[in-house]
Formats: sequence, structure tokens, C-alpha cells
Amino acid sequence: MKTLKYIKFIVIVLAISFIGCEDNLELAPEQSLLPEVATSNPANLQNILTGIYDEAGQTVSYGGQINLASELLGNDTDLSWNGTFEQPAQLIEKQLVPDNTFVRDYWLNAYEVNNQANIVLANLDVFEDESERNRVEGEAKFLRALVYFDLARLFGQSYNVGGGNSQLAAPIVLEAILNPSDITSPSRSSVEDVYSQVISDLLSAYSLLPDSNGVFADKYAAQALLARVYLQQGNFAGARDAANDVLQNSGHSLTATYDAAFNNDGNSSEDIFAWQITSQDGVNQMNTFWAGQAFGGRSGNPDVSVNSSFFDIFDDANDDRSQFFYTTSGGTATTKWQSQFANIPFLRIAEMHLIRAEANFRLTTAIGLDPLAEINALRSRSNAVALGSITLQDVIDERIRELSFEGFGLHDIKRLEGTVGPLNYDDDFLVLPVPQRERDANPNLMQNQGYGS
Amino acid sequence: MKVNHYKLLILVFFISSIALAQQRSISGTVTDSNGLPIPGVNVIIKNTNRGTQTDFDGVYSVEAANGEIIMYSFLGYVSQEISITSQNKIDVILKEDVSALEEVVVVGFGTQSRRKITANIASISSDKINEIPTPSLQSTLTGKAAGVQVTQLNGKVEGGVKVRVRGISTISSSQEPLYVVDGIPITNSDESINDSPINPLIALNPNDIESIDILKDASSAAIYGARGTNGVIIITTKQGKQGKTKVSLNSSYGISSATNTRDWLNAEQYVELVTESALNVGFTQAGIEGQFDFYANGLDWRNGDVDTDWQELALVDGSVQDFGVSVSGGSEKTRFFMSTAYNNTDGIVRGNQLERYSFRTNIDHTLSEKFRVGTNSSVSKSIIDRISNDNAFATPLQAIAQTPLSPAYLADGVTPNNESTEYYNFLTDEFNGNFKTNIWRVLANVYAEYKILPELSFRSEIGYDFLSQVAERFSGSLTESASVGGFGTANAVQTEKYNLNNYLTYTKRFNEIFDFETTLGMSYEDSQRRLQFAQGQGFPSDDLQTLNSAAEITAGGSSRTRFNFLSYFGRTTFSIADKYLFNASLRYDGSSRFGDENRFGWFPAASVGWIVSEESFLNSSEVVSLLKLRGSWGITGNAGIGNFASLSLFQGTPYNQRAGLAPTQLGNPALKWEKTTQVDIGLDFGFLNNRISGEIDYYVKDTDDLLLNEPVPGTSGFPNITRNVGEMKNRGFEFIINTKNIVSADGSWSTSLNLSTIDNEVTKLPGGDIIAGRNIVREGETVSSFYVVEFAGADPANGDALFIRNTVNADGTIDRSTTNNFNEADRIIAGSPYPDFIAGLTNNISYKGIDFAFTFQGEWGASLYNNGGRFQSGNARFFDNQTTDQLRRWQQPGDITDVPQARLFATNGQQASTRYLQESDFIRLRNLTLGYTIPQDVTKKFYMERVRIYFTGFNLLTFTDYDGYDPESTADFNGDSNIQVGETFYSAPPAKTYTLGINIDF
Repeated sequence: MKTLKYIKFIVIVLAISFIGCEDNLELAPEQSLLPEVATSNPANLQNILTGIYDEAGQTVSYGGQINLASELLGNDTDLSWNGTFEQPAQLIEKQLVPDNTFVRDYWLNAYEVNNQANIVLANLDVFEDESERNRVEGEAKFLRALVYFDLARLFGQSYNVGGGNSQLAAPIVLEAILNPSDITSPSRSSVEDVYSQVISDLLSAYSLLPDSNGVFADKYAAQALLARVYLQQGNFAGARDAANDVLQNSGHSLTATYDAAFNNDGNSSEDIFAWQITSQDGVNQMNTFWAGQAFGGRSGNPDVSVNSSFFDIFDDANDDRSQFFYTTSGGTATTKWQSQFANIPFLRIAEMHLIRAEANFRLTTAIGLDPLAEINALRSRSNAVALGSITLQDVIDERIRELSFEGFGLHDIKRLEGTVGPLNYDDDFLVLPVPQRERDANPNLMQNQGYGS
Repeated sequence: MKVNHYKLLILVFFISSIALAQQRSISGTVTDSNGLPIPGVNVIIKNTNRGTQTDFDGVYSVEAANGEIIMYSFLGYVSQEISITSQNKIDVILKEDVSALEEVVVVGFGTQSRRKITANIASISSDKINEIPTPSLQSTLTGKAAGVQVTQLNGKVEGGVKVRVRGISTISSSQEPLYVVDGIPITNSDESINDSPINPLIALNPNDIESIDILKDASSAAIYGARGTNGVIIITTKQGKQGKTKVSLNSSYGISSATNTRDWLNAEQYVELVTESALNVGFTQAGIEGQFDFYANGLDWRNGDVDTDWQELALVDGSVQDFGVSVSGGSEKTRFFMSTAYNNTDGIVRGNQLERYSFRTNIDHTLSEKFRVGTNSSVSKSIIDRISNDNAFATPLQAIAQTPLSPAYLADGVTPNNESTEYYNFLTDEFNGNFKTNIWRVLANVYAEYKILPELSFRSEIGYDFLSQVAERFSGSLTESASVGGFGTANAVQTEKYNLNNYLTYTKRFNEIFDFETTLGMSYEDSQRRLQFAQGQGFPSDDLQTLNSAAEITAGGSSRTRFNFLSYFGRTTFSIADKYLFNASLRYDGSSRFGDENRFGWFPAASVGWIVSEESFLNSSEVVSLLKLRGSWGITGNAGIGNFASLSLFQGTPYNQRAGLAPTQLGNPALKWEKTTQVDIGLDFGFLNNRISGEIDYYVKDTDDLLLNEPVPGTSGFPNITRNVGEMKNRGFEFIINTKNIVSADGSWSTSLNLSTIDNEVTKLPGGDIIAGRNIVREGETVSSFYVVEFAGADPANGDALFIRNTVNADGTIDRSTTNNFNEADRIIAGSPYPDFIAGLTNNISYKGIDFAFTFQGEWGASLYNNGGRFQSGNARFFDNQTTDQLRRWQQPGDITDVPQARLFATNGQQASTRYLQESDFIRLRNLTLGYTIPQDVTKKFYMERVRIYFTGFNLLTFTDYDGYDPESTADFNGDSNIQVGETFYSAPPAKTYTLGINIDF
């Protein structure tokens, strides 16, 4: 009898401890939110929108590596790669393989930005306030347009003026994916379709965004990006008018000196849009690859050095831009990316001047400003002697003097149908391969020519 | 020496004789059935507190009176009682207790006799693992158990160790076995802050361990249900024994060096090769010499003023110092074991060091016939001087990339040269930085066992495991953090785990032939992890290294996470006539880690055995002493995934100091346990009175519902999701043979050989190939097979690197022609990172006072990919120093060689290909011990029971054709990736250690 009591007692003790434990199996993460909560109210949706800037500004993308792709792929003799990373070495050698992880990350990051923008766009109805909703929609569309523009430029053959661009770019995915069952295996869309998507988003963003929006995209950021897109398409009138709008109405202006446009902790007067870097948040990957070691660069000191042939572009020894360099043990480094925690200018007003000047020149118009005056204004800021007359080549050269090492290299060569050493602008190896991991995961993606089957 | 003993006895007798005057001295010798004396036998006068022990020669002397009874007892022998009548001399022969001598195997929630076990369990006793000079517990197991592969990642002292029991049964979940210490599952997660794993068991003192039992098949592991798939390693620490208090002291000191070094170009060879490489691509002689001038930093490289051997700076001589004391003993009621130990291991990689202090107290107390309580507690502190992971310029072995033309130090001879090195000079980290990790570990459990009925007992165990780690790193103003004026980080992690086990055990023998035992219980386990960290930059002085002095705090954070398990389990064993054995178990496991839809899982197992040798037709055989057939089936699980893998999650991602949110994972509410069904058939045998014994096993492990981080189209915004897809199969033979070659009074020689085959195959992978780096998971192939382009050497015509196309022709054949365009060649499956055959051979020889033991370990069938090969052996494509084999590069048309033409800054064969893949079969003399026990008649003079001096060697010899550093050295920064394996990247070889030591027992 006594033993029976014991058994009963033990059974009761066990039963109690079991019941208590069962509830404990329901644990919630303490560092994360569930999607239902994350998309449930305006404040959280605003947070997701802010998160997209962080995503796009990552090192693998606009934090630096996407510019690196354009500059190294578009380089013949002006730059040297001194770094140890093999991925950029493949870029500068035009010897890309489809499992190049830089290439993989351009793609993955672009679609992460895209999906996050799609999530914001799919949940706009949580906003009661219309102006807030419009701003959020506009910013999301600006960011989405941004990544599709680069997907088209990097993974597709160049845009043929006049349309009919059936060459493949990258898939267009406009549905928000928050559930495994929503995942699709899309095929690549044509360059034409991707450009149309970009333009449609940017036009919409322009109409939705406010005139100014702090460090985030405003309507002139959308307009400036649109000017860049139109220029790439050879739509000079569109480019000219968009650039002119930004120059006339955005309130941004050239900094007093060339030097003042770079290495700034905050945005300069010239920044229409810049990627924000602080010592606590974001990594300036331009600095990592382009600066000397003493300034935070990698061991190549700098990993990308500028060779003497580049300096042939300068026509005036007093041009501040020709002095905007410093020497380290690994070679000559550009001063543009010297400060480790500086913002990364992305849409500068100087580019708008150059777009407007080039488009006006080509169209023999003088909307906003006469091209010669515009070019000389830019030169004067850098203490370069004024030109008496200009040719189209002068405008292009001015563009290089002003914008080099900022990610325009390859895209300008393609637009101007130039060459990279022995390679013609439309060479297979001036287009990135579709990442191997992507083709392994999605059988519907065709590989670009030259990169195997 | 006997004199002292007698003095003590006389004293005792003098005191006791006051009361009992009629007592007289009775003496004699206690021997075993072979006539050999047994020392330490308890000789006690029944119902009194008088008594003594036999000495080393089995001799005793005790005072007793007529009518009293003398009890002779000794563990492992049947006790005897002799009544005193008129004898003065009583010689006693103690018989071995057959039942007690039967080896006992620790299984989950209980023990079983080895003879009657129906599962496959490998047992390793303390004498096989003691004195191996490595701070890592797991490394002592290498080569000791069939089907268990133990690999230390590389030569860092605190480095991670991979233990794989019966192959790889998972792709995305943990591949590590479950560790259970004294009944309590312990935390086994690496908390390193720099991707280079820290062995979580580094805090355990191997000398405290009594035995290790490895549950390999499902029948034994299924009692641990959802965590049994990778095997269960049950560690039992030492317990005190009733009897005289024993004090043991162990002290050893050893020196170590790398198992292997490689040959690198010296300055002259370097100049020759790199000059050629530069000229080949159009650089000028003056241009390249300018570069050499830069490296030489003012020294004249032309006449040999500088020729730095960077390897020699990185791989240094290490040392191992080990000191431990333990005290154990006890009375009838209370038994105890106490120990403290100190280990100091200076690594063979510069700047790498480990110090460990450990303390343990194990007490077991009998309150009454029915009630027993006890505790096993240990505390340890480890201090590790750490170095960067293999993928950092600051890691010592990356120094081999530096050119021999760069001096290691500046002219002052002290300051590391960073002015003229190709890469950051790792010496600066030691000179101007500090990277220390402190680990505190508490393992404690308390248990109570109550015999409700003679047949029924209840046991309750409460365990607590606390792992606290503080990692602090400071990089001064000369290091890679120079641009920010010094950089510091402090990172603290506390992981604690509570465990409660309650179970009832019922044991009954019916009708003399039916043995029945059943265990029923529950277990609850809760693990919580907290982390806090901060980092800052801008330090006023390199002497101020804590974050208090940082000008700016650039990052900080904290996080908390938790998981738990609730489980119910039962096991029944049943045997008939000690011949027919049955065993069944069932576990019901629930965990917070799994989705709502599949939170609980059932894990059943069953096994049967037939001891054929007990049958009448064999039981009188002189030849066959044991023949047992056994078979088992069972299901185990694997729950080694993230704590919240089933949920879609958004995490904070600030931008420009504004709050942000971003999706971080795509959830899957249907996520469930991986299930492994394992079938094992085995034969245990013993011949000629067990002079020859062994085991043969064949197993098949089928895993389905594999938890896979399956790549999804990146266009979804996510790279992968966790799904239960895929199936995998592991099959293997295990063969163990133990022989007692010589058994005699003077000495013995025994041999133990274990051989195992492992055949892994991914049997179903619905999502198609998974490729990570150079590894592929593909249906029909071994998991993580190497997947690279096939290299075909240099084109004799022009020195271009050639690759075999391996594309499929229209007619289905493979195009084996070569191309110099890498992109035209398809990747092929070119090898496996896992061995398909492993073996261990141990010999133990003793002769009089000399003992000699050694273990060989061998692995066959694996390959290693040297991911650093493109820099190290890349025909001088970079300025990196090259292995000397690159001197056989193509130089002129007609040259037949596998090293393409050297072309500075131009890719020519450095792509990922079989060029950098090599088979890594090896045989290694893992450990060797030679000891000498000083005769007791000498040591007794110094009041010492036993004195043994010994020499131990570790990794003394390695036989391999592998050209890299070491077949057991792999990259440490992919530690978390189960797919990216078998890769080396500036990974240090393990240590080869020579140790001298002494054991003293008092």
C-alpha cells in the first residue's frame, strides 16, 4: 500500500512537470518580427522602406562593388588591379566565370532590393495619410527602378538606339514574395522590357515624391536617374529635359571646389542622392578598393591603382581634377574615395550638367544653358582653362575628367559604342554571365553568349 | 617499506587491544585463482570497525579473537568470510566475480551488461585516452572506435574538431553527435567571434574521464530521439571507490612542432620565376626590378641580403604542459573523486596559446539501503590567445604568401615590416594587438535515486551547464586597423542549459530464466543564450586596449535566444535464459525549434540478440567462448537547425542611424525533424577463452525529410529556404578484432584493430544539384563531392593552361578534347571530401614494469582542395611566393609540364580545377606511449604506491602522398557550412608532440 502511494505521488509530480513544460515549447524570437507584424502598420512599413536603402547600399552593390564592375570591365590600360580578390581580377581581365561571387551578389542583392520594394508597394494601404503613402510609393519605385536599370546594363547587351531590344536582360518580378509558395522561376525579360519598367517606375516616382526628402530619394533623384536612363538609351531629348529639370528646380548646385564634392560625412550641395555611410552603419566599399591602406583600403594599397595613361585625358595641368590623386606603395590612388566613413555620391549635379550639355550639343539646342558655357562652368569649378569651342569628343572627355572612378566606365563605352582594348563595345565578355547559382536554381534562365551552355 | 605499514598497524592494534585483550595477530596472503597476489583487499572483522588492507604482495595482518569473522572483499571478486577458530595464518583465494567482471556499458538513462547488449556501442576506457598530449577531448578518440571519424580542423590549439559517427547523415543540420556528460546533454555550440571555431569541449579535462561510450546504431541512440542521428557520445567521469584514499598526481611536459612544412621559393628562385612571369606579359626588366627594390626595402636583393623564410616565422615550436592531482576514495556510505588540473599548450602557430584550469568534485552518498544521492560538478576556466581565421592576412600562415624579398622586420629588428610587404605583415598583430578569449564552464548535476521496491527504482537528475565566454580583441595603431587609429571589440556570450530527467526503472527476474527491465521517464531541457558586444575605434595609446578608451563606439548590440525540448521515453529489455535478447524503446520528442504543424515526433527502435554460444551445442566448446548475433532497427532524428527556422522573419537593419527592417528568412511552418531509419546487423565473437574477440557489423542508415537550405531562384529576394526534401543513404561495414597475443604473469601483448567502410550517397534531391564553392550535392553521388573543371596541364605549343571540355556530344559521349578557354569546359565530379575507409590499430604491450602502447590511424578515399593553390602554386600569376614545384613551368615550345607559362597578372590555369585537388589518403602514428613503473619496493621507501615515468608521442609519423600541409588540415572559416568541406586555405598543419611525464599514486 505504501509503495502504491509512492507511485501515485511520483506520477502526480511527473504529470505536473510535464504540463508546465508543454507551454514552454511556444517560443518567440526576440530579435525578429513576424511578417504579419512587420507589414501591419505605417511605422513598420516605413522601417521596411528604410531597410531597402540599407540593402541597396551594401558593399556587394551600391556600397562599391557595382561601380567596380563597370570601372574594371570598362578598363583597358588606365587601371590596375593590385588586390588579392580574384573576382575583380576576372573583371579587369574580362575573364569572368559564371560562379564569380561578385557577379552572383549583384544579382542577389538587386532582387532583394526588388522584393523589399515590392513588399512595400503591396502593403501601401496601411497608410492613412495620402502624402505619406505617395512618398513611400515613390521611394520604393525609385529603388526598384535603380536595380533593374543596373541589371539591364550589366547582364544584358547594350541598348540599341531606336528600340527593338529583344536581347535578354534579367527577369522582371513585381509580386512581393513572403511565402515559399509564391516563389517562381521566371525567364529573362528583354532589355527593352526592363528599360520600360525602369522608366515607368521613375516617371511614377517623380510624380509621387516630394521636392525634398532629406537623405532619401526625392522627385529630383528620380528625375536625375531618369536622365541617366534616357542618356543610356540615346534618348537625348528626354535626357536633356530631365537633367534640365533637376538643374533648374532641385536646388542642388555645384560645390565651390571639386574637392568639396567628395569625402563628405553629410551630403554636399551637389548631391542629389548619395549612399549614407557612418562609422556605425554601412561600409564604404569604394574606399576599400580605391583607397590606400593608411586610409582604410585593402592590402593592394590601393587595390585599384590609376596608371599614367589615364592622365592623358587632362588638357590643363592646373585642372584640380588632375591633382585629385595621391601616391602609395601600390601605385596612384584617386582621392575621390579617400575617406573611410564618407558618403558615396551617387547622383551628382555635375553629371546633370554633363548630360544636359551632351544632349544639347547633339540636338544642337541650348535648353537651360549653351553646351559650351555649361562645359566651361564645370571646368572653371576645377580651375581648368575655359575652352573656346567644343566638339562632342570634348564633352565626352569632360565627362571622363569629371566622373571617372564613379561607375560610369563600361556604360559610357557601350553607349558611345567604343572599345575596351581589343574588345568591341558589344563583345560577349563585356556582359556579365548569369550567375551559376542562379541558373542552378532556376532552369528557365538562358546563359549569356560566351559563357558556355 | 613494510616496516612503516606495520608501525601503523601496531598503533591501531595497540589502541584496539585495550578493549579486547584476547585478540591475537592473524596474517596471511590473499591471491586470485591464478595464485597472483591481490593488493588492496579489504580485510575487515565483521561487525567491528577493525580492519586493514593487503599490501602490494597480497599480505595482511590483523588482530582478531576466536569466534570473530574476517571478511575479505575486493571489487570484482566474490567476498569471503572465514570464522576464526585457532588459526594464526589464513591464506585466502578470492574468486573472480563473473557477473561483476562483465563489462558494463553506459546507455542513455541506465547501464547494460556488454554481454547482453543488442546494440552497437563503442566503449573507450580512460586508460586508452589518458596521457595523449592534446587539450581536446575528442582528439583522444581518433582511431579508437570503428565508424567514428575524428578530425581536428587544423593546428590551432583551441580549434574545432569534427566527430562523424557512421558518416554524414545530413546536409543542412548539425553533423555533430550529441554529447552527454554524466547523464546530462551538454551545450556543444561554438561561440568563436571570428569564424574559426573554438572546440566547445575544450573546457573538459580529459583526465577526469572514466569512460566514453559511443551509441552508434539506432537501437541505442533512439532513446535520445530527435538528436540521435549523428550518434551519442556518453561521457562518464571518474567516481571514487570504497577503500583506501588514493592520491594520484600526473605531470608532463612536451614539445611540439608542425607535422609538416612545405617548400617555398627562396629569394633567388623567386626573382627568377617572377622576372620571367613579368617579362612574359610585357613588363620591362627595370619595371620588375623596381618592384623587387620596393620589397627589399633598401636591402640588396641581388646579392642575397634578404631571403625571408616566412613559413618559419609562422610555424613555431610549441609546448604542452599538463599537471593534475586527483584524490579519490570513500567509505561504505560516501564515495568521492576530486581533481584539479592545469594545462598550458603553446601552439605551433605563432601567437596561439591555451591555458586551462579545471576542478571537479564527484560525490556519491548512500543515505539508506533505498536512497542514494550524489553530485558531479566541475568548473573550468580556459584562457586562449587566439589568432585570425585562415582567411585573413593577419593569420600567421598567410605569411607564406609574402615574398622572400621582403624583410620580416624593419631595420630596428623589432618592428614588423609593413612598409614593403606584399600583404599585411601578420607579425604586427602579435606586436601591436591582443586577442584573448576567456571561457568559463560549469557542469553540475545532482541526482537522487530511490528504491521504491527492490525491483523498482526512481531516479531524478537535475543538470546545469553554463558556458560563459568573453572575447576581447584589440588591434593597435600599426595593424590593419591603422586607418581608424586602433580598433577594439568586446564580446560576451552566456549560454546556459537546464536539464531535468525523471525516470523509473523496473528490473525483475521471473522463473529464473526471464530477465525483464523497463525504464520509463521524461526529460525537459531548456537552453538560453545571451550575447552582448561592443566595438570601438580611435585609441589614444596602444597601451589602452579596452573600449573605455575608444574615441568612438562604432557598434554594439545584444541578443537573446532560446530553445527547448520536452521528451518522454521508455525502454524495455527482455531476455530468456540469457540467450535470447530483446530490446525496444520509444521516445516522443517535442521542440520549440519546429513548426506548429510538426512540433512532436516519435522515435521507435527495437533490437534482438541471440547468444549462440549459450546453446547446448556450443556452450562446452573450448574454441568458441562467445558468439552473439544481433540485429537492430530504429528511427532517430536530427534537430540541429536554427532556433526559428520555421518562421518568416524581419530583422532590424538601420540605415544612416534610422531604424529599418528587412526580411531575413522565408519560413516554412511544415518544417519537421529529419528522420533516419537505421538497420544494423552484427556478430560478436570470442574464441579461445576470448583471446580473440571482435565484432562485425553492417549498417544501413536511410535519412529522409532532409532539412535543406535549398537554393531558390534569387529573383524571389531570398537565396534559400529550409525545407524537408531529399534523402540520403549511408552504408558501411565495421570490423573490430581484439587479440590477446601474450598473456602471462610477466607481461602481456594485446592488439585491437578496427576497420570501417563508409559509403554515402545522396539518394533523392528534388530541387536538383546544390553547389557551394567547389562542392556539389547531387543525387547519386557522395554528399559534398568535389565539382570542378578538369585540368590538363600546359599546352606544349604555347604554355596555355588546358582544360578538358567534358561536355556532352550530340551522340551522348563525353568530349574529352582540351581547350584553353576555361568557360568551354564543364565541371565534373572529381572526388569526395570524405574517406570511404578508415582504420585504427592499437597495440598494448607490457612486460614487468614497462608498458608500451601505440595507435595507428588511417583514412582512405578522401581528397582535399587547396583553395589557396591559385595564389601559392599559380605559376606566378601574383607576386605571392610560390611552391617550388612551380619552377617546372612551361618555358618554351615543346615543354611538357603540368605548370602553365608564368604570366604576371594574367590568368593562366589558376581557375578552380582539378589542378588544386589531390587525394589525401594517409596513415598516421597517432600516439605512442612508453612507460616504466618503478618497482614498488623502491617507491614504497618514498611513501609512494606507484611511480611511473612515461614518454608519449602524438602524430609522430605521417605516411601520405598528399603534397599540401597535412591531410587533416582544412580551412576553418567554412566551419558552419556542411557543404563546403574538404577545402584547405592557408590552414596550419596539426602539431606533432613529444611528451615526458610522471604519474605518482600515494
